[in-house]
Amino acid sequence: MVAWVRLAVPAAFVASMGSPAHAIQYLTVEQSRKLSFPSATDFVPIDAQAWKVASDGKTVGRYIVDHVIGKHLYIDYAVTLDAGGHIQRVDILQYREAYGGEVRDRSWLNQFVGKNSASTLRVGADIRNISGATLSCHHLTEGIKRIVTRYGKDGR
Amino acid sequence: MLGRRVESCVAAPRAHVCVCSTRKSVLAGAMSCAIAAATGFTPSAFAQSAEKKAQPKSAPTEITSQDLLRNIACLEQRLRVLEAQKAAGTTSRQSPPQNGGEQDPCTEKEPKPWITTTTAEHLSLKVDAAAPIGKDVATPPPPPPVEVISFGAYGEIKFGRLQNPDAGGQWQTGFDAARVVLSPTYAITKNIIFNAELEFEHGGIAVDSDDKLAGSIDVEQLFIDFKIHERFNWRAPGIDLIPIGYINEHHEPNQFYSVNRPELYLGLIPSTWRAPATRVYGLLGNGLNYAFQVSQSVEDFGDSFDKRTDANIVAPGPYVGGFSIDSALGLSRTPVGDFRQLNDTLAYAGRLDYQPPWLPGFAGSVSGYYSPNTTPRGAHADSGDALGKSSLTMLDAEFRYRVPERGLELRGEYVWVAFGNPANLRANNDGDDTNNIGKTMYGYSGEIAYHFPLGTILESEWEAVPFYRYTFENFQASGFAGADLNAPTGQGQMQFHTAGIAIMPSPKLVLKLTYQKAINNDPTGANADYVLGGVGFSF
Repeated sequence: MVAWVRLAVPAAFVASMGSPAHAIQYLTVEQSRKLSFPSATDFVPIDAQAWKVASDGKTVGRYIVDHVIGKHLYIDYAVTLDAGGHIQRVDILQYREAYGGEVRDRSWLNQFVGKNSASTLRVGADIRNISGATLSCHHLTEGIKRIVTRYGKDGR
Repeated sequence: MLGRRVESCVAAPRAHVCVCSTRKSVLAGAMSCAIAAATGFTPSAFAQSAEKKAQPKSAPTEITSQDLLRNIACLEQRLRVLEAQKAAGTTSRQSPPQNGGEQDPCTEKEPKPWITTTTAEHLSLKVDAAAPIGKDVATPPPPPPVEVISFGAYGEIKFGRLQNPDAGGQWQTGFDAARVVLSPTYAITKNIIFNAELEFEHGGIAVDSDDKLAGSIDVEQLFIDFKIHERFNWRAPGIDLIPIGYINEHHEPNQFYSVNRPELYLGLIPSTWRAPATRVYGLLGNGLNYAFQVSQSVEDFGDSFDKRTDANIVAPGPYVGGFSIDSALGLSRTPVGDFRQLNDTLAYAGRLDYQPPWLPGFAGSVSGYYSPNTTPRGAHADSGDALGKSSLTMLDAEFRYRVPERGLELRGEYVWVAFGNPANLRANNDGDDTNNIGKTMYGYSGEIAYHFPLGTILESEWEAVPFYRYTFENFQASGFAGADLNAPTGQGQMQFHTAGIAIMPSPKLVLKLTYQKAINNDPTGANADYVLGGVGFSF
C-alpha cells in the first residue's frame, strides 16, 4: 500500500499537469466561447444565459449556457448555435456526478452538431444512449432540445 | 425529492424596447430607463402609466448600449435646460447649451430609437447592455440553483411463478418487494460530494415476528468524493462498490432487461459487491477511464454472527464457508460494520473503461480483483485442523454495443476466478463431499436485444426491448484439493436461457416479463426455472 502511494501520487500529479481541466470544471465559459467562436468580437447578452455573437459587426451565432440535473447533481453545459440556428457545438462545463461522466465524450456531444429546432433529438433514435449514464443522456438531450427550440428558431 | 426533475434555466423572453411617438413619453421613458439601468430597479407603475399614454404598437426594436448612453446623456442635458428655464422664470424652449466642440447627444445624424418603459420585461435591460464594440461582455452565466441534499431512488418489485429447488422443483407463486433504495447526495463544496445508498430489501425488517418481515435495511454505499482533477479524484474511505464488471456498479433495474440481475452477478460476482474501501479514479485519455481501489478483502466465511466470537475469530465447530459450489462467492462479502471483519487483508481492484471514439455506441471494460488471503481468523476444517492462506484473483471483461441509429444491442461478458490454494477453502474441508470447489470458476454470457419504439403514450416515449441471454457458469472447473472426498454431482456446471421483454415507459421506469430455463449437470436438475414479472424504477 505504501509503495503504491509512493508511485501513484507523483504519477497522478504529473499526469494532471498535462491538462488544465479540473475534476468538475472542465471548461470555463471563456474557454468554451473561444472554442466555439475563436474570431468573435462581441458577445452581446440576450438574457441571463444567452449571448448573441458577432464578428466584425456581423452576427455569427448564439452562445447559451444552461444546466440540467444529471442523476443527482447539476450538469453545466454550453450550446453554440450558428447564425441559422443549427447547433454548432456542445460543451460540458461542469459535471459533478459520481457516475455518468461519459456524456463529456466528444463523440457523444458531436451527435448534436447540425441539429436545429426541427430535429427530433430523441435518445435511442438520433442520439445514442450511454449505458451507465442514461439519465444524464436523457436530461442533457432534453435541455439541448429546449435551448435549440427557444434560441434556434428563425435564427433569432 | 429535491432536484429530481430536469431543470433548465431558460430565462424570460428577450426584452424589447419600442419606438415612441411623443417627446413627453420619451422623457418619461428615458428617465425610467436610466433609473432602471443604473439601479436595476424598474418603477413599474410609472412605466406602465407612460406606456398607457403613449405606447404605440410598433415593432420591437433592438437597442444597444450606445443608444442607452445617448438617451441618458440627452436626458441629462434636457434636465439642465429645464433647470435653467426654471431659474430664469421662463418656459420658452431654448436650445441646449453647447460645450465647446462637444457633440450634442440629442442631435444624432441617424435616427435612433428612443427608450420607453413598456412592461415588466424592461427589468432585463439591466443585463441587456450591449458590449462595447470589439470587447467581450464578462457577464457570468447564472449559477445553478443552490445545491441542497437531494434523494434519488431506485427499486424493484418482482412477482410470478418460480421453481423452488428446496421443494424438489415445485412451482410456487410468490411476490417480492425486492428492494427500494434511497440515495442521498450532497455537494459539500463543488468539489467535495457526499453519496450514500440506504437500502430496504424484501420488505424490510420488523421486531415482531407476526409482522413476517425477514428482509434487511442496510447501507449499501457511503462515501465522499474529492473531485481533485479530471485525471485524479479520490473517494475517501467508506462503503464502496467493487469496480468489477458493469452491473455491480450500475445495478439499477433499468440497466438490465431481465427481472433478476444477470446470472454472472448472482454469485460469481457477488452483486451488489460492496466493501470498506477507498479508490482513486479519473480519465486517462479520450474515452478511457480508470479506477483503482483498495478494500477490505472478501472472506471465506458465510455464516451468521453467532459463528464468530467477540475476539473476531471463527467460533469452534461447523460453519458455512464464503465460497461454495452453490453460490460461488455469494457469501464471501465482508461485513461493513462494527469492526467485525475476520480478515486483516487488503484487496486491490482496478478497472479500465473504454468508449472508443471510432466506434460510437460501444462501451466496454476490463477489471480485476486480487486478495492475497481470504482465509478468516480461526478458519478450520471439520477435523479441527487450521486452514491456511488462500488468495483470490478475479478477472472480468465485458462490452455493451448499441448499434447507432438502430435498435440492435449486444452485450457480452466473461468472468474468471482463481483460488490460490483450494486445499485451504472451507467448502473443501467441511465434510460435505458434493459442494467442493476447484482451482477456478468461470462464466460467460452473451445477450442480444432490440429496441422497438412504441411511440408517445401518456406523454412519454415508450420503448419495448425483447431480449435473449445465454449464460454458462462452471463453479468447479478443475484442481480440487482438500480434506473432503471429491464427489461433485454436477450442480456446479450450469446453463441459463433467459428471454423476455422489457417495456420502458421512460428511461426511469421499466416493466419486465422474463422466462428463464436453468440447466445443470446434476441428475436431479437445477429446478430453478421461473416466469417472473417485474417493475423497476430509478430516478
